[in-house]
Order: sequence, then C-alpha cells, then structure tokens
Amino acid sequence: MSLATDTRTLTFSQAIRQALHEEMERDERVFVWGEDVAVYGGIYGATAGLLERFGPERVIDTPISETMIVGAAVGAAITGLRPVAELQSSGYFGIAMDEIYHKAARWRYMHGGVFTVPLVIRLPEGAKGAGPEHDVSPEALFLSASGAYIVIPSDPADALGLLKSSIRDDNPVLFFEHAGLYAYRGEVPGGDHLVPLGKAAVKREGSDVTVIAWSRMVGESIRAAEELAAEGIEVEVVDPRGLRPLDLDTILESVAKTGRVVIAHEAPKTGGAGGEMAAIIAEEALEYLESPIIRVAAPDVPLPQSRYLQRYLIPTAASVMEAVRRLD
Amino acid sequence: MTAMDSGKLLELYESMVTMKLWDQTALRLLQEGRVLAGYHSGRGQEAIPAGGVAPLRRDDYLMYAHRGFGYTIAKGMSMAAMFGDLMANTAGATGGLGAGIPHFADPELGILGQGGTLGSCFGIATGAAFSARYRGTDQVVVCFFGDGTANRGAFHESVNAAAAWKLPVVWICENNGYAVSVPVAESTAGRIVDRAAGYGMPGVRINGMDVTEVYQATCEAVDRARAGGGPTLIEAMCHRFRGHYEGDPQVYRTDEETQRLLALDPITTAAARLMEEGAVTGEQLEELETRIQRRIDEAVEEASRAPMPGPQRVYEGLYV
Repeated sequence: MSLATDTRTLTFSQAIRQALHEEMERDERVFVWGEDVAVYGGIYGATAGLLERFGPERVIDTPISETMIVGAAVGAAITGLRPVAELQSSGYFGIAMDEIYHKAARWRYMHGGVFTVPLVIRLPEGAKGAGPEHDVSPEALFLSASGAYIVIPSDPADALGLLKSSIRDDNPVLFFEHAGLYAYRGEVPGGDHLVPLGKAAVKREGSDVTVIAWSRMVGESIRAAEELAAEGIEVEVVDPRGLRPLDLDTILESVAKTGRVVIAHEAPKTGGAGGEMAAIIAEEALEYLESPIIRVAAPDVPLPQSRYLQRYLIPTAASVMEAVRRLD
Repeated sequence: MTAMDSGKLLELYESMVTMKLWDQTALRLLQEGRVLAGYHSGRGQEAIPAGGVAPLRRDDYLMYAHRGFGYTIAKGMSMAAMFGDLMANTAGATGGLGAGIPHFADPELGILGQGGTLGSCFGIATGAAFSARYRGTDQVVVCFFGDGTANRGAFHESVNAAAAWKLPVVWICENNGYAVSVPVAESTAGRIVDRAAGYGMPGVRINGMDVTEVYQATCEAVDRARAGGGPTLIEAMCHRFRGHYEGDPQVYRTDEETQRLLALDPITTAAARLMEEGAVTGEQLEELETRIQRRIDEAVEEASRAPMPGPQRVYEGLYV
C-alpha cells in the first residue's frame, strides 16, 4: 500500500488505513495504539494490515484502559513521538476526559509552551445501533477544550487527507470518524494527498441556501440539495471539516451569498455545535440573513439501541429538505 | 540497608537543606504577599525528593509531585525560574502563567511537568517510559505521587500497562498518612506497597524519613528499570510537618502529633549521622547553610527584577 499515483476508489475505512500506512512509512515516530488495533485490525478494520507491515513495536494492542491510552499517548507525544491513539468508540470519551480535556489539550499551554503535543486521537462516532453510550457524536463537548483541534472528515478523500495532515500537525487533534461512513466508497486523489486543517470545503455550490454540515450529514445534505435542485432551490453545502480551527471566512462568504442558513449535525440539538455556529453567524453576519437560522439535529433524547427506533431520531436528507423548505 | 559513604550522604544532605531553605523562603514570600496563589510546603519530606531524584541522569524523566519544589531543585531546574513562577512574573519557566503551584517543566532536564488533577501523572509517566524504549534509549522515568493520589483510577490503568509491558518506570509513593485531611487508614484498603505484587512487579516499603534508604531503594529500582527489568513500586513512609496547604487549619490532627513529628526531621537525622562519622563539623554545616541561603536569595533577587506579563501572554503558547 505505497503512495498511489492515480485517483482511485477507496472506502472511508480504507482511506483511514491508507493515511496511517503512508504516515507510518514516512515518519518512524508515528505509532498506533488502542484496543484491538493490532492483531484484529481495529473493530472497523481501519488498522488492518498495519501490524504485518510495521510490527508490534509500532502497532500496539492496549489493555481496555482509555485513561491510560490517552494519558500515555500524551507522555509519548511530549517526549518525541507522534502517537495515533484510537478510542474504540467516541462514547468512551468520559473514561479519558481528563486526559483529553486537560492533558492533551492543555499540557503545552499550562507549561508555558515548552512542549508540543503532536497527538491524534481517533474517535469513531455516530449512530450504528450500538446503544445510547456508543452511538454518540460528542464533538461539541470539546469546543471548550481550547488547545485541541477538532477534525471531522465526511468522505474518503477527506478522511485520507485530513488524517495525514492531523498526524503531521504539532497540535493535538481529536479526529472524529462516523462509524456509519466506514463502508462508503469515494474517489481519492493519488499522490501525497493532504487536506489542510481549518479549511472548509464547499461540497456543492448553490445560491439560495447555505447548509453547513459535517460528518455523515454532508452526504445527506448533498442528496437533499440534488432533490431540491429539481424544485428550483439551489443549495450550497459547506463542510467545515471540523470545529477547530474553524474556517469562518468560507462560512461567512457563503452566508453573505445566500442569506439563508441551515446547520445540520447528527448530535442532539441542545449542546450541539450548531448552536455555537449559529451564534457566530448571528454575531458576524446578521445583516445578511433573510430568514432565521434553522438547525437540523437529533432531538434531545439518548439514541436507543434499536435501529428501528433510531430511524425516527437521526436526521437525514429528508430532514434537511424539510428545513430548507421552511425558510422564507 | 547498607552503609553509605559520607561524601554521598553530604551531597544528599546539601540537597535536602536546599529544599528546606527554599521552602522557608517561599513561605516568607507568601507572607509578604509576593506569591499569587497557594503553596504546599514540602517540609519534613525532603528525604524523598533528595534521595529519589539523585539516582537519575540528566536525560531521565521526572514527574514531580506538588509538595514543595524539591524534585525540580534536585533535577537542576533554574531556581530563579521557579521563583519567577511563584511570583507569576516573566522570569518564571511558564513566562507568567503559573503562580504558587505552577506547572513548570524543562524538557532539556527531562522535567515533564505536573498535572493539577492529581493522578494524571501516571499515564504520562507510562507514556514517557514507552517512548524511551520505542526510541531505543535507556532513559528511566521516576514518578512521585502521594498516598491520596494512589487512589485515583488512573493508577491502575497506567501502572498495569507499564508492568505488563515491562516499561522503565519507578513509581515512588510518598505516604505521609493523610490525603489532605483524610487518614490513609480510612481511605485505603491494604498497604499501597502490596499492590506491586498484584501487578507482578517488585515493591518495597521504606522509611521515607531516611535519605540513605530512599536513595538506595531508588538506585536499585532505577538500575533494574534501565537494564530492562521493568517497573518498581516504592512506598516511602513519611510525615509532612505543615498543613496540606498554607492556611490549612489541620483540624484532623493534634498539635501534639505535629510536634512529635519534628523529632523525625530527615535533615537533623542526616546531620547527626554526618557528625557522628566525623565527616563534618557543626560549624561546617552552618557555613553550608549560609552558602545555600545566599544562592537562594540571589535567585529571588534575580526573579524579582522580572516584570509581570502583559495581557497578551494568555494567548501565547496555546497552539503551535
């Protein structure tokens, strides 16, 4: 799995694996650890084959100890390594919260900037029928963890390019991967494909409405936009590709163009990052708005394990279409 | 315990006296209102940082505890920088971010910093030890923590992983009998040292008021870790002479108890031994103290000259 020269099609999961492979090949300070990441290859297959290629020194099965997985990754990062730590589910964030929030994000700052913490924490998130503790999208919780980047790819090309950039970055990165996307295929450019952190992508251009969406909701929003185009509504889909650093310029430029905003994410509405995003737009671009901002998000209930019931809660393309039609 | 040559003992004695005088000076600055935040005196426990840091090389890693500044003094951190951090001015290693209980570090000296949420030291120590081995060095990590901190869950996760992976860490628990106000007997099941057996690593309980004992136990553990023999847990039994923090009313213990402890002063004990062995005279020890105090005063002086940080400081050093 060396650098491919041509565009090819990869699943989201293969793209993650490709990014890890390329960066481990390039930099021997990069290592991967987490639960079942080595022999098993990760429960989503995202680390499959790494053990065979790079050996047990660099691909490490840890005990079921998230506090240690993140805490020790910080220790390794401040002493010259570049860890990529996997939490098997982003729902385990609570077990490692002190290590993520205070250690990874703040060790550099609180020690006067004498360290760098080049660490990536991979956090599979989103609805998949695994119950209220596993099926979370907790990225907004880390908005107040200044010091940590929050990066969220929405397709295989971004998964590859953003993960590679995250591994090369000297700041700690929380890298959220929607578990429902792992099997999705998409075109991925050849060569050393890097996507800069903090640069939003306009995934579809449009002039009537701006839909700001990330993670799985980007694909849903593009589908919604295609259907709405048939009704004569041109939707622009802006994917911030994460929450920090935030590419405000691209977002505001789009808002200025369309004057109408829908924000779509899978996490529940209250406490979701859409609230922060809406507040920023209200502060910075109220004069452009021709209609109130609408948030498309899950309701304020935990996601039940039943996929049958989850269908009633998880926002989809239909929810985005419904919101767009409600705009003045 | 085997005998220690008096030259080595004198070195450790000097280290302990430096810590004591540092502590006195910090308390004076606190009284004068020149320290912006609280301070956790290390008085009484000097034998542990002195004996526990002396066996380390310059490139070995240190996770220090919050009681006193002895660990970093012993590792060679700039005194002026540490005073600067106490005063929260720009002479500080944190450039003015810290105050009182600062989070200072010096990567060149292997000083990896300190977490305010106690127990987070464990994961970082395990990670630094992993890193040392990954990079093919023979660096060792020494992690100091109190009996109270030993009850944080991070202890289990990190100590287990370090033992399972035979990483080069020395865990030094300073058991001073109280987790802030709660006696260890009320909060802790069994003896902390006995946990070592559960993780399949050597554990030793020592008299933490005796610098020779601390030094020798740490040397043995450091040598084993460096040679690839994995981690060791040392439980150093000790006493703190002052409150958990300055201003602690100490309602959990009597004045008589505190007074009795003073007879166990590790510095007095070491001085008596040195004089008994005829290595030094009382007069020489006094001269030594004067010399060290001068060095400390100079550091205070140097730190005092630095300006306070400007408001821009809070935005610096967050992102790379």
